[in-house]
Amino acid sequence: MKQFVKTITKKDFSTFVNAVIQDGFYDVVGVQAKGKRYVFDTLSSAEELQLDYDVTILPPKKYFLPQYEMLLKFSLQKPFEGKETITDVTRIIIGVHPYDIIALEQTDRHYLDQQQDSFYKKRRENTIIIGVDIQNVSERSFAASMKTNTTDSGFDLLLTDIGSTYAVTIGSETGNKLLKKYATVKDASTADLKKIKTVRDAVQKKYKQKVKIDKKDWSALLVANYQNAIWEEHADVCMECSSCTMVCPTCFCYDVKDDVSLNLKQGNRTRTWDGCMLKDFTKVGSGEVFRDDVKERYRHRFFRKGNYLPERYGFVACVGCGRCGSACLPDIADPCNLINELAHFTSETDTGRYFIKEENEVLEKGIIHVPRSATIKKITLFNELDSLFEIELDDKKPLEHKPGQFVEVSVFGYGEAPFGISTPPGNTPIFEIMVRQVGNVTKKLCSLQPGDKVGIRGPLGNGFDVKSFEGKTLLFTSGGTGMVPMRSLINHVVDPKQRNKFKEIIILYGAKRPKEITFMDDVDRWKKIYNVQCELTVDRCEPSECWDGCTGLITTLFPKIQADKLDSKNTIAVVIGPPVMYKFVIKCLQTLGIPDDNIYVSLERRMKCGVAKCGHCQINGIYVCKEGPVFNYGKLKQLPEAFE
Amino acid sequence: MKQKPRVAVFDFADCEGCELEIADLEEEVLELIEIVDVVSFREVMKEHSDSYDIAIVEGSIMRPMDEKRLRSIRSHAKILIALGACATMGGVNKIRNQWMPDEVKKEVYGTANLKGNELFDVFQTKALNEVVPVDYYIHGCPIDRDEFKSVITAIALGKKPDIPRYPVCVECKKNENICQFELGAFCLGPITRAGCKAICPTHNSPCEGCRGLIKKAETECVKEVLERYKLSYEDIRRRCTMYNYGRKECSYDE
Amino acid sequence: MDERSAVTMSKDFSVHVEHVTRVEGHGNIILDVKNGKIEKLQWNVVEAPRFFEAMLRGQHYNELRPITSRICGICSIGHSLASLKATEDALEVKITNQTAILRRLAIHAENMQSHILHIGYLVAPDLFGASSVFSMLEKHTDTVLKIVKLHRLANEMSDLICGRTIHPIRLIVGGFSLQPTEKQLIQLKKRLLEAQELTNELAPIILSVADNLPSFTRETEYIALTSDEEYSLYDGDIASTDTGKHPSYRDYKEIMQEYIVPHSTAKYAKHARDSYMVGALARFNINSCQLQPVAQDIASLFKLKAINSNPFMNTIAQLVEFSHSTQDSIYLIDTLVDQGIKQEKPVKPMKKAGRGVGIVEVPRGILVHDYTLNSQGYCTKANCIIPTNQNHANIQKDMEKLVPEIINRPEKEIELTLEMLVRAYDPCISCSTHYLDVSFK
Repeated sequence: MKQFVKTITKKDFSTFVNAVIQDGFYDVVGVQAKGKRYVFDTLSSAEELQLDYDVTILPPKKYFLPQYEMLLKFSLQKPFEGKETITDVTRIIIGVHPYDIIALEQTDRHYLDQQQDSFYKKRRENTIIIGVDIQNVSERSFAASMKTNTTDSGFDLLLTDIGSTYAVTIGSETGNKLLKKYATVKDASTADLKKIKTVRDAVQKKYKQKVKIDKKDWSALLVANYQNAIWEEHADVCMECSSCTMVCPTCFCYDVKDDVSLNLKQGNRTRTWDGCMLKDFTKVGSGEVFRDDVKERYRHRFFRKGNYLPERYGFVACVGCGRCGSACLPDIADPCNLINELAHFTSETDTGRYFIKEENEVLEKGIIHVPRSATIKKITLFNELDSLFEIELDDKKPLEHKPGQFVEVSVFGYGEAPFGISTPPGNTPIFEIMVRQVGNVTKKLCSLQPGDKVGIRGPLGNGFDVKSFEGKTLLFTSGGTGMVPMRSLINHVVDPKQRNKFKEIIILYGAKRPKEITFMDDVDRWKKIYNVQCELTVDRCEPSECWDGCTGLITTLFPKIQADKLDSKNTIAVVIGPPVMYKFVIKCLQTLGIPDDNIYVSLERRMKCGVAKCGHCQINGIYVCKEGPVFNYGKLKQLPEAFE
Repeated sequence: MKQKPRVAVFDFADCEGCELEIADLEEEVLELIEIVDVVSFREVMKEHSDSYDIAIVEGSIMRPMDEKRLRSIRSHAKILIALGACATMGGVNKIRNQWMPDEVKKEVYGTANLKGNELFDVFQTKALNEVVPVDYYIHGCPIDRDEFKSVITAIALGKKPDIPRYPVCVECKKNENICQFELGAFCLGPITRAGCKAICPTHNSPCEGCRGLIKKAETECVKEVLERYKLSYEDIRRRCTMYNYGRKECSYDE
Repeated sequence: MDERSAVTMSKDFSVHVEHVTRVEGHGNIILDVKNGKIEKLQWNVVEAPRFFEAMLRGQHYNELRPITSRICGICSIGHSLASLKATEDALEVKITNQTAILRRLAIHAENMQSHILHIGYLVAPDLFGASSVFSMLEKHTDTVLKIVKLHRLANEMSDLICGRTIHPIRLIVGGFSLQPTEKQLIQLKKRLLEAQELTNELAPIILSVADNLPSFTRETEYIALTSDEEYSLYDGDIASTDTGKHPSYRDYKEIMQEYIVPHSTAKYAKHARDSYMVGALARFNINSCQLQPVAQDIASLFKLKAINSNPFMNTIAQLVEFSHSTQDSIYLIDTLVDQGIKQEKPVKPMKKAGRGVGIVEVPRGILVHDYTLNSQGYCTKANCIIPTNQNHANIQKDMEKLVPEIINRPEKEIELTLEMLVRAYDPCISCSTHYLDVSFK
């Protein structure tokens, strides 16, 4: 698009800004001084603007993903009421540097994907960006060597200081209209256009920091150095304060909390910035922390910037603003320094990519924060911890899920938790989940009664591609609560309408103790179905417990399979169970001759948003809630973090 | 209609600032007394009852007579909440633990004969959990009112309160404060538990660690920062004695 | 007369109040009467001593303020200011005019907060015949809501000036870590004008139950700060109703003479007589003519005139001071806005070592901090005189005069009256056991 460039005197620009402020229609935000630093804040007059600033403490992301943002208000007095709380503010931000503009475009790719974040979307639509070319360079910025110091897009207007006037590059019709309404401008002359280039070139010389490796080579460099000692060396002095992620324009992970007012009558669900550098970032309800070691978190951040997001979207998620470099007290956060250090360690080893990209069809698009109302129909108690919940969506529309998908269940005031769907797909609004009491949400759920309401978001995740299993032998191995999602898959394939599409079906089911074998009714039914072999075991059984089956780990069930009769190359194996189980079971499967690409697993991580936004469920570069929870082992085994 | 939980408020050796913070809920106190029954709160009420479910206790334990009173409170209450740094960790009261009780007594009361007088029979200051098991901790000197509300509503709803385990820096950065280190000051924020919304740095005063350390002061990362900013270990040692004397870092449950 | 003595002769009873309610800190009232004669009458302070005196040893002067602030939650601003004044006196730090005004606003905020808390939450229930402000809510909703609103305002004021009411963050040696903006001050002024209106509505309500305050007098010495320029709270010279203005504040020990009493963890104090009183009533008695007009009006409403020797009127004097603070604060804000408020860095010390004394009036009376700092800036010697400390002896003496006057009343009434007497002083008992008296060898 040909860009029109105008010029405006500095005086007229002030008049323009003041006019917009006076009009009162927009919340006018501009870069201002705060002590010796700069921040974006609401302008009361054009005199407050400091357009020659070097860098702001926080990037303008705070206007699109606020530090604290209310998502919905709920009532604790009504059976189910949750209202979305999007604020309607039209805003103009004046003084955004190119690197911050680029960072916003990067965030757009993530937040405006198939599952658009409606809050972010609204703010982006309602905000006018008036960018400004960099005049002064901060100590730690390396935007020039990242080629993010100038930009042609992403702004409505862009100012360049060319002496006594600003050149105004018009980037959109909205920007054009704004100028027409409030400003006195002239067309830019050829000399003016030349000055823009001169100014930009001159500023380029001011950069003190330069990164030695071109952006396009960051990915390979990082991957080659996954095991480099540098991560631990640096992480030794990491304060684990996550200042780096807080000030970063391309970081956008968040946490969600329910707060209840003092009168216990209502409350709100709020999201706030979270950081992958914090220890509890990957902590699940049962208490397990998946990225415990600080070195792993430290490394993860750089890989996210330089490998995971580039593989996913094609851009390096670092714009060289230098904020993290200044914010980090032990000074280990600066990607420029880190990459330059790593540049010494080139390697010839395999630079296989740690990334899995899967296309997946998502059923729920658009609104991703507000749950649908559902009623608990039945609760079956299996043991002191586990209960099976039968839930019906109040709008009576079918859930339309695939086996292997999950739902996020909301109990207002307590929070939200993910649960694997345990019933097969069908034309029904009723489905089952298993609830194990481990934390606030699950404990509260177990205190509810049939007739009580909960909120449902989903189905989420990718689910099994059952069609690709047709014509094959199916070998299902479930450990403990792994049977919950597995049951959805098994009941789907053994359904009379589906059974003939598959060859033999072998079901191996193990649990720690007899009372944790929760689906005996299903097991009894499966045993009776044509060409289905079903074997059970428990790790251990007390004399008092009633169990006449096998004892031993689940691996002891494998000899029961007639290996010589098994067409292993055409067998699909599905494994779902506790993390410790995978290694051993997969070995058994490999011994049977089943190729790695025929093995599917389902992994759990901390699924919070369920729509690949909040960042908590990441295994290296993939989101368990989007590229999973079902994974092909052949591809997954490349991910170092998958089975740690 | 479920009976409202009965709450009793007690204090020991403290400045009563944390109890005042509760009173400073102003109109919200009237909301508070709708969801709980305050059966004893010596500072503002005459009534007292020994029948309560939740005991909120402020202050440190200094003497055998205090220990006895605390044990009695613990035996009456189903839930015991430690309110404020004096109760959760010992707070400023523990600064004097650098010296033996006899020495400090002499300093203050000179040669006065205090033998056998139980009022003066002090031992080294103790936090509440050094005497009885504590169920919930509300940190800070003084407490943060929003956190107090959050803990009370959590208890009322039967859920575990969500107390941060990450450093003050997270909240400080969200507030867009200029880092105290940048201003040449020495701040305990990076190793102190958040939850206070970084109130001190927000008012341009470095963090003093009143909510408890979540990282030991002797770690490599701290030494690195001290070196980088040319600060002395003496600075950190002194700042840590203010509220965290004798403690390396808070345990995970606190 | 004979009839009465005939009755008292046969009376045998005890009034033991353990941990008096609706006061800050722990104190006991012990009264044993046998055959109509007082056997034992004691005001016992049983608060656990916290030995702040020991804790200041070897602390840097930048840490003295945060630590001494923790002596008391209610007067933490007062302790902070006394502490800063002492340090600044020792190291010759001359604060700016702006800081002086802001600190006066801080003291007003604290006075207001503490006084309305005392009047509304601690004393009012007695006057309305309720056991607590909660039980007052039902029958006197409007009054309680007014009190709460005024309390809220006072807290918002100190939050603005000091960063936080309890343990004020912004108060540092040489000034403030952060100053309010003009916009914020203008907003505060609006709120103070609202507060004035509310106070004028509250005063007649209190007046309607003021007769429930016992009328009791005992000739007493009153000690407070005084100044020619203003109703003294932040600055001034020590004055006594018996001996007049004292020339040197550094020689405060000549007036405030402390001594140990075995039944109390807090020391007692005396000057020209066996005891003396400090606090709102003392300040009123010495400086009432300097009160702002609105406050004078309220004093007249209650017929409160200097010199008033009824300790129960201390509460009324607090209401008068509350009103004065709202008016004076408005005047101070106008001054700041006129001269333009700016962000100032704290003033640096001119000297390296020295001894300094800082005296302020806190809600409960005159407070002294006395520090000696060495050349590295560490505290080697410290002393502190707490207001309530100075009142303990007076409480004891008041009781000794009061009990015989009411000895024929029912026990419950005697108990209530004695409790009300203690409450009237608005004692800050935790504070009073935390005086500082340390020599660093």
